Amino acid sequence: MDSFATGVSIIYQFATNGAFLLLSALGLIVILGMMNIINLAHGELMMMGAYTASIAWHRGVPFWLCAILAFLVVGLFGAALERTIVRRFYGRELGALVVTWGISLILSQGALMVFGPFLPAIPIPGGSVGLGQYSFSVYWLTVIALSFGLIAALWSLYNRTTFGLQARAAMQNAAMARALGVNTERIYMLTFSLGAGLAGFSGALFAPTVSIAPFMGQQFVAPAFITVVVGGATNVITGALGSSVLLSLVKTPIGFVFGAFVGTVALLLAALIIIRLMPDGISAVIQRQVDRRNRFA
Amino acid sequence: MAALQHLVNLIAGPEDIGRSRWFWAAFAAVCALLFVNPLWLTEFEATNGAYYLLNVPIALGLGLLWGYCGILSFGQVAYFGIAGYIYGIVAGNMVGDATGPIIGSLCGLAVCGLVATIFGYFVFYGRVQNWIVPILTLVLTLLLETFLGQTAGYQWRVGSVQLGGYNGMTGIPAFQLGSYVVMGYGFYYYVLIVVIATYLGLRLLVNSRHGKVMLAIREDAIRTELLGYDIRARQLVVFVLAAVLAGISGLFYVQWGNYITPSQVGLVQASLPVVWVAVGGRESLLAVLLSTCALNWLNYTLSSEGYQYALIIIGALLVAVMLFFPSGIVVTLARDLPRHLRTLRGQRKGEVQ
Repeated sequence: MDSFATGVSIIYQFATNGAFLLLSALGLIVILGMMNIINLAHGELMMMGAYTASIAWHRGVPFWLCAILAFLVVGLFGAALERTIVRRFYGRELGALVVTWGISLILSQGALMVFGPFLPAIPIPGGSVGLGQYSFSVYWLTVIALSFGLIAALWSLYNRTTFGLQARAAMQNAAMARALGVNTERIYMLTFSLGAGLAGFSGALFAPTVSIAPFMGQQFVAPAFITVVVGGATNVITGALGSSVLLSLVKTPIGFVFGAFVGTVALLLAALIIIRLMPDGISAVIQRQVDRRNRFA
Repeated sequence: MAALQHLVNLIAGPEDIGRSRWFWAAFAAVCALLFVNPLWLTEFEATNGAYYLLNVPIALGLGLLWGYCGILSFGQVAYFGIAGYIYGIVAGNMVGDATGPIIGSLCGLAVCGLVATIFGYFVFYGRVQNWIVPILTLVLTLLLETFLGQTAGYQWRVGSVQLGGYNGMTGIPAFQLGSYVVMGYGFYYYVLIVVIATYLGLRLLVNSRHGKVMLAIREDAIRTELLGYDIRARQLVVFVLAAVLAGISGLFYVQWGNYITPSQVGLVQASLPVVWVAVGGRESLLAVLLSTCALNWLNYTLSSEGYQYALIIIGALLVAVMLFFPSGIVVTLARDLPRHLRTLRGQRKGEVQ
């Protein structure tokens, strides 16, 4: 029983770190994978999600509704951002990077000026469950389950719906997709909006666990970008999943022994070594394996 | 003499704006003005003047990297910080020894070069995609800031120097040549000479053979490689050079203010070199030089008025420039203004040349 509980505890630790990385990076990786645009305002979109959640929660809205509200609000904001600014930078990767960085500066400083240096915190919903001598937070267990749910939902969105089919077509060959009648402009707007919404949703989910402040987005930037770099842009879902599992395997033991900061440094070193071995990320490697198997099948 | 002529031709080569006789006359006049400036400036004003200039090397390095080689880095301030901190540690431990500041400077630049080489090796020899370099350099910067932020307390003491956590490192010695402590007017001249030498040296570089290969990599990396150039090594060399230039700015900064804090390598500071380079125009060293001085002056003025708006203005400036002047304000003006002037003059004379 005791060793069983220890086993569950270890898995819980890995899963928490994995879910954290996955949720931090999900919105970013959706936008990158489908549109080849790096959104450096990602951390600030998460901040907006947390702000929405905090404001709504303190007006008496139940927490899970707050998270959904954050998804919608930030998603709408993302759509507006895409229409006005981001769409002018398609095909100019570095230009898009720089302009979204400018947006992130405006957003974080703007939040500081409008809302002041911090917003009231949200207590962590749910209690904890005990197993052996360990106790697990119900909230984090839910978040872990949710992140698997989100991946499944994204998978079916891209593989089971017309939107998904058109989006994948636009990603593979935009000119050809347009020629076949796909409205790529609309696809790009919806994709960017979806990515922004996911960032807002993750921000709301992390809101109870961190202090809600204008520059809170920064703490997610490093892990999110490392996850994206390791995952690569070849296949959104395998990339996000593969890289958060792999990086959690690196971060959890090192962070446990040496502390959180060394854990994050280990993430960067792992990322450097991984891109040296597989420059296009894990998703490209997995994709090659799948392609090879399909050829011989 | 022929070698000198060759050198002059290289500096005046085609890879920067400002090639006419008029330009060089103006350039010489401005340099001369800057050199005689201290005649009517107070020592305090001269030190401020040095402050506007001291960020020029880091900006020129980024301009070289981004505009001429096509590699964007958000992490130049990491090297700025590394050089500053290493200088502080080495020179701070050698107080009383006249060679301390020189050895400290060399150590700072060497560590910059070393870190950039290791980092660049993984990035360029891994042949990663274009967007990964800025992301990883940004992550490196963030981690460096986090690390320096938690170095408060006595266990973070190197010799007799405290790293100081978020309060930063204080009491960093000024630069010193022999027994002459470089301060006030002396510091102004020291920065001015290094800045002018850096600018002319980089102009020489971008017009040299190596510079042509660099431009070729920016235009088409695969084609350049098929022509037989080792693009990985070339990119790595430029990356290290840009890091060392950022380190020079870091040295100037700590020698100017005698302190450094982790916020110097924070996200806000990291954005500034990108803004300077983007606003001026990344594909011209001269544009970068001008916009860096102008924006540093602007930032200095703004932050004495009220710092809270400074970031929003900088962010908005960056977005506006990327939207309306994708190749930079100075470069756009330099390209379009002569044409407009010619058209105007042509209309007046009733002919278009």
